[in-house]
Amino acid sequence: MAEYVHPEVLVSAQWVADHINDPNIRIVESDEDILLYEVGHIENALKVDWQTDLQDQLVRDYIDKEKFEQLLSDKGISNDSTVVFYGDKSNWWACYALWVFKLFGHENCLIMNGGRQKWIEEQRPLTKDVPDFPKTDYKVSGTNEAIRAFRDDVVAHIGSDNPLIDVRSPKEYSGELLHMEAYPQEGALRGGHIPGADNVPWATAANEDGTFKSADELRSIYMEGKGLKEGDDIIAYCRIGERSSHTWFVLTYLLGFDDVKNYDGSWTEWGNLVRAPIEK
Amino acid sequence: MTKIEEIIEAFQAADYQETLAMLLDYSENLPKLPEKYIEARDAGLNRVPECETPVFVWIDLNDGLVQIHADVPEESPTVRGFVGILVDSFNGTTPEEVQSAPQNLVHSLGLDQKLGTRRMFGLSAVYNRIKSGVKEAGGRQQ
Repeated sequence: MAEYVHPEVLVSAQWVADHINDPNIRIVESDEDILLYEVGHIENALKVDWQTDLQDQLVRDYIDKEKFEQLLSDKGISNDSTVVFYGDKSNWWACYALWVFKLFGHENCLIMNGGRQKWIEEQRPLTKDVPDFPKTDYKVSGTNEAIRAFRDDVVAHIGSDNPLIDVRSPKEYSGELLHMEAYPQEGALRGGHIPGADNVPWATAANEDGTFKSADELRSIYMEGKGLKEGDDIIAYCRIGERSSHTWFVLTYLLGFDDVKNYDGSWTEWGNLVRAPIEK
Repeated sequence: MTKIEEIIEAFQAADYQETLAMLLDYSENLPKLPEKYIEARDAGLNRVPECETPVFVWIDLNDGLVQIHADVPEESPTVRGFVGILVDSFNGTTPEEVQSAPQNLVHSLGLDQKLGTRRMFGLSAVYNRIKSGVKEAGGRQQ
């Protein structure tokens, strides 16, 4: 049986339970539903919201370096904190928050495998108490844009031998729908996918209990199944870059690809771009 | 002032944390779905199709007054809280009062600015379903 290439990035709920009071660890909950943290969270967990905390509220972009430093300083996260992310929906949003932390070069980021769902299924306690850690003086030393693709990177990718992975649902990929089934259909004027992109819905990589599939299963999905191979320069995208950060995490850490980018403009940019090539 | 106008006023005066606290309160106080609807819910009836979260709504008139019963999973507290606001404001009022509530309630409550616009489509869908449901129920009574 194969192992994950970087198994150290995944920790179990038990591990988190054992490190709740570890001053070197900061636990971060990141969910799709902005109120879930308030309903109850792991003791000492901090809340980071993907939209109101991590995104710029005016320009379509992430917050800038100064705001990121402010956010982490206020939360009591220091440069050498090990941050463990967890959240709802198979850690989809936790992976998104982790990806943004990586954009700003935060060194030690882990995922609690199974996320909020598994913690609750294991009947572990939740609290409404919000921790108040001493403020820090967080400094971003350098951003890591190598993990982010912009539309020009995608244009350059089309027609090269390098893979593009569309992680949306099959109906979004085929152009039948503009958003996941049952989600409101908004955000893009055209349906379809970026030419040459292969479709691997993000949740293919997750088990029913929210944990990641085994290394063997992941290899069979992405490598044997879709032909990804060592040395590939891969771009993953979805609709706004959230589902594809889950796939980015899987490809980067669990399968060990060195060059994976998340295209956060994704379909809500591409499907609106004048003269952008589209396949159905 | 109608109940919904009072709630709008309270939300407009609230900061981010207070908004979350009020929504959580509505979420926790959403009345349980009456037993008689459970079978229909489990069969997937009366679901609001545009909302990602499984939201189920029954609308009736009782002596000319609106009766809304709703079911929203506890893992979706934002939607639950919003539905809680609707149930609290509209139950026991006239269909006319429901129709006179603001067209874009999500915006009137300030939820789009405070919680981010990307989450709001499902909420608006639930609101529109309830408004049109009340209208239909009113039509059935006449």
